[in-house]
Parts: sequence; structure tokens; C-alpha cells
Amino acid sequence: MSAELSLAVTQVMKGVVYRDTHEKAWRYLLDLQAQVRDHVAVLGLLLVIDEAEGYAFLRSRPEQEGEEGPPRLIPRRSLSFHVSLLLALLRKRLAEFDARGGDIRLMLTRDQIVEMLAIFLPEGSNEARLVNQVDAHINKVVELGFLRRVTGQDNLFEVRRILKAFVDGQWLAGFEQGLATYAVQLSGTEEKP
Amino acid sequence: MEFEEISALRRRSVAWRLLRADHAPLVLGFLGRVFVDENARSVSAADLAGRLDDELYALNERLGEGTFPKTAKAYLDDWADPRAGYLRKYYPEGSDEPYYDATPAVEKALAWLRSLTDRSFVGTESRLNTIFDLLRQMVFGAEADPEARLEELRRRRRQIDEEMARVAAGDFEPLGPTAQRERYQQFTSTARELLADFREVEANFRTLDRRLREKISTWEGSKGALLDDILGSRESIADTDQGRSFQAFYDFLLSSTRQEELAGLLEQVQALEEITEPDPRMRYVHHDWLDAGERTQATVRQLSEQLRRFLDDQVWAENRRVVEIVRSIEKHALTVRAYADLPVTTELEGSAPELGLPMERPLYAPRVRRPINSASIEAGRQEFEADALFEQFYVDRAELAAGVRRALQGRAQIALADLVRERPLTHGLAELVSYLALSDDTFCVVFDEGRVDEVDWIDEEGTERRAKLPRVTFARTEVSP
Repeated sequence: MSAELSLAVTQVMKGVVYRDTHEKAWRYLLDLQAQVRDHVAVLGLLLVIDEAEGYAFLRSRPEQEGEEGPPRLIPRRSLSFHVSLLLALLRKRLAEFDARGGDIRLMLTRDQIVEMLAIFLPEGSNEARLVNQVDAHINKVVELGFLRRVTGQDNLFEVRRILKAFVDGQWLAGFEQGLATYAVQLSGTEEKP
Repeated sequence: MEFEEISALRRRSVAWRLLRADHAPLVLGFLGRVFVDENARSVSAADLAGRLDDELYALNERLGEGTFPKTAKAYLDDWADPRAGYLRKYYPEGSDEPYYDATPAVEKALAWLRSLTDRSFVGTESRLNTIFDLLRQMVFGAEADPEARLEELRRRRRQIDEEMARVAAGDFEPLGPTAQRERYQQFTSTARELLADFREVEANFRTLDRRLREKISTWEGSKGALLDDILGSRESIADTDQGRSFQAFYDFLLSSTRQEELAGLLEQVQALEEITEPDPRMRYVHHDWLDAGERTQATVRQLSEQLRRFLDDQVWAENRRVVEIVRSIEKHALTVRAYADLPVTTELEGSAPELGLPMERPLYAPRVRRPINSASIEAGRQEFEADALFEQFYVDRAELAAGVRRALQGRAQIALADLVRERPLTHGLAELVSYLALSDDTFCVVFDEGRVDEVDWIDEEGTERRAKLPRVTFARTEVSP
């Protein structure tokens, strides 16, 4: 097996490969796409490459009906309500940002994120506690890889465009449905259209 | 222009606002030099702040401390704020540092200022010539009848023939000094205007792009109809008047024969005797045009590419769906906001497989304790240089604690940053760290991770140092009665 293929496969096994930060691995991934696909298919994985946005990652292959696939290698993470909400809000920001102009990179300050999420947090908690809570949510999203701290600048975050690949219409619809059902339960009445 | 139009301009025009700003001389002087005189289209935040810092220092020296009280960075942030709009701030791909470019408003304000200065003479004849040329180009160029075109060409040939005959007979007059200077004046001002216009051309492209995106986002019909509308009309960026004119200019400039001709002409003109004060910048103005043109061309390419991506089938449909769903999520989330721990959770697939390899973990390695044998230390008899031992400094914590106690005599608490201002650090970082580790019965040390303080000191070499640390406060512990 060539060193190039080896690098491409291991890098994408480790995490998202970005065009701007993993130049070599990105090039090899594009060149050896077919081989990489064959390789990871053995493990029940699917290679996703978005050339326009400049990222690549692995996904579990959707299970075929009536057929038992290999065990899942990619973990599913459980996210709390507020982290999910933050992801949804960031996704909307990204959509609006794209609709507004030709810039590629969406940068948000911590204050902007706090402001965005604050109106959805329970009232009564004092300002400092609220900021701490939001910080915890932000850290979680950073850990998930959808926000990135901008080096050299305090409290500035880049919304990574890969967010679009994960927080898609389907995921959002699922979240919305869960939330709507719960809201109806709480109010004890049927939701009016 | 009507009254309403002018008052609307006064309210909305960025250039006008800039001219009215208190700091207008600073803004225009500084941005004009960096972005216009040097033809820079993209300057990193650190570079720009550094240069502005020098400028502010020099101005404050000359005009008195406090004339421009803010930091360079604060001024740049002010100027890049959308409410000001003098600078465009953006993050280029692959850089975590913001970059700045001046907006067309700066060019416009500068052009107006330049027009205020008195000119020694205003050439009129050369401009009348230019007007005649333009008119002929239009009339002749628009002529569709071949017979009429031929007639015009014959007329010109007759003129040339007559002129050749006159020159052959020695009957001609070279362009006089006044006429030369006049033309040179017109040439420099047009060349500068052209350069200034590139910023506006680029801004126009951005506006076009924004308008298109708005249209796409709010489009209610089918995708096909949208594409027809955008591609069929003259609205797609390259097909607008702006796009065509710019492309024609760029192609014209790029051709190598034109380049050579331009370079040759510029060299000759700059060397003309009658032009007593040639503008040094004009010698290579075509290079400046090329630089600016390339930059604009890159913007157009980038905008078109992103627009295509934005129009991409899936992205287009997905974006609209996403915004709709998130609106509904927001609505529900507001109704349940009072509840702290909502059981609504989601699951998201990770972006990479997780492998746990037990054999990759390091094995347990017992720590070996090294016995210390300190029984027999004998006084050395040898003479040696002991300076190194004394050169080390010692931070006296008792003294620091005493200093804190003294500072707390008059107040209940004091921030470390304030304390250091009162009692400057003499041992630099080591002393600063010692402060953090102080413990005393009469006060306690409180850390606030949420805020950041800056502490300055001057080290042995005389260099200014600055440390950022969480806010540290010394607070007097209440003495129980």
C-alpha cells in the first residue's frame, strides 16, 4: 500500500480533513478517492467529500434493510437541549450569512453567541451565571468541531462550514418534532396550527 | 439636485459622513497614504495597527498628549464598524488575522478634497479634444451602413494625406509647452481616477452579488424560473454593464502589445522636457492598474464561484428549509424557556470513528524513588567563581505580603493590576507569579476567570513587558470581633 493512500486513510479516520489545514492529506484524498472509498467500505464507512467547501469526513453506511451490517464504528453523541438549540441557531446564522454576501467565513464573538442563545434560557439566572452556561455550551460545540477558537483573538469563534453537513434539514426536523411534542405536553393542550 | 435628494445624501452617504467626522483629517490622511498612495488593497490588522500606532504617537507628540486618546486598534474597530464604513474588514481564507481594505467612500472623500486645492491652470483645450474624440468614436462606431463608414474612412485618409504633404514641406508645428502640460495634467488626473474607481467597481460587484443572493433567498417560484431570471437577464455579475466594461478593460490591459506600448509611451512622456515636475507615480501607473485590476478580477471570480455554489440545487433547497425549521424551533423554544432541564435531546453522528486500542495504553511503570544522601557535606576548600549563585534573584514573599497589607489599610480590596501600578514589579514575571501564590491571615486572593487584566512592567533590559492574566483581587478578610 502506498504511503499516500496510508496518509489519506488514517487522516480521515482521525477526523475531518480540511483543505486549508491538511493540505497533503486533502490532495491525496482527492487523487485516491476511489481507493479510499473501497478501503473504508470494508469497515462499513462512507467517504464524504465536499470539494466546494473544502472538507472530507467519514460517515456510517446506512444500514441495508434485512441485512445485518458490521458494528458501528462511528459513535452517536447525545446532545443536551441547549447544545442542540445552539447548533440549530448557528446553522440558521450560517444560512443567513450565505444569503447576505460573498464572504466565506462566518466569525462570531462570544458576546454575539451569548446574545443569540440568552433569550432561550430560563429567566432569573443572573448575568454571570448565564454567561457561564453559554460558555459551557460553546465549549461543547467547539469539542464537536463546529466552532473553532480563532487563534490570537480572545472570544472570537469561526463557525466551521462543516456544520452544514451534520445539522441538516433532516436532523433539524427531528429536533423540531421532539420539541413540539414536548411543548404540547407541557401546555396540556393540543397545539393550534 | 433637489433639496430632498441632497439631504438624503447627507444622511446616508458614507463619504459625506467621513468628511464631517471629527477625526476626518486623521482618517483621510492615514487611510489615504496607506491604501491610496501605496495602492494597497489588503493590509493585515497587525500591520495597519502598527502603522496607525506610529502615526498616533507622532500626532500626540506634536499636538499634545490626549489629542487622539484611543488605541490604534480601537480606532480601526471604529472605522470598520458598519455604522462608520470607512474600512472593510474581512478574513481571507486560511488566515485567522483580519485584513482591511479602504471603502470607495474614502476614495470619494479624498477626490473631493483634492479638487479643493487650487490648480495653477486649468486645461480646457485638451479636454475639448477628448470630447470630440469620444463623439466621433460613438457616431462612427454606431454606424451600421457600410457606405457611411467608408465615407468617414475616406475623409480621414484625405486629412492624413494633407497632413503628410504639409510635414514633407516642413510645414508643421510641434505641440507647445502649454499644450503638453495641459495634456499631462489631464493624463495624471484620469490615471488616478481610474485607479480610484477600481474600489468602486469592486464594491459594485459586491452589491450586485448581495442583490442576487437576496433575490435567490426570497424567490417564491420554481428553481428553473429563477435560473431563467438570473441567467437570462443581464443581472448575472459578468453580464452587467459593470461586468462587461471591466472585462473589456482587463482584456485590453492584459494584451502584451498594449503593455509594451503603454510602457514605452509612459517612459517617453515622463522624460519630456516641458513636463517640469513629472509625477513619479505615473511612470509605472500601468502596473498599479494591473495590480488593482487583478484584485478586482479575483473578487469577481470568487463571487461567481460562491454564487454558483449558493445556487446549487441541494444547497438552495436546504438553506430555505433550514431557516424555516429553525424559526419553528425558536418559537417552541421560547414557549418552554422557563424550564431549566428539558428532556428533549438529540443525537448527532460523530465525524470520525472512535477506536479504542487497549494495547496502545502505556503499561504501569512504578516510580523509582531516588534516595537522597545528604549526610556528609563538607565545606569546599577550593576557590571558585561563586558569582552565578548570587546572580539569581530572590523574591521576598513576606515583603510582597506586607505590601498588600499596607495597600489594604485604606480599602477593603485591591486588584493586582492596580497594586502593581502603585508598586511596580522589580523582579518581573517571577514576582508576578509570587503574588498569585501569596497566602496570609489578613487577606485572601480571589481569582475571576471571566475577566482579563493586563499587567505591565519593564525588565532588566529596559523592554516593556505585558502579561495577561485572570483578574486577581486581594480582599481584606473581615476580622471577627
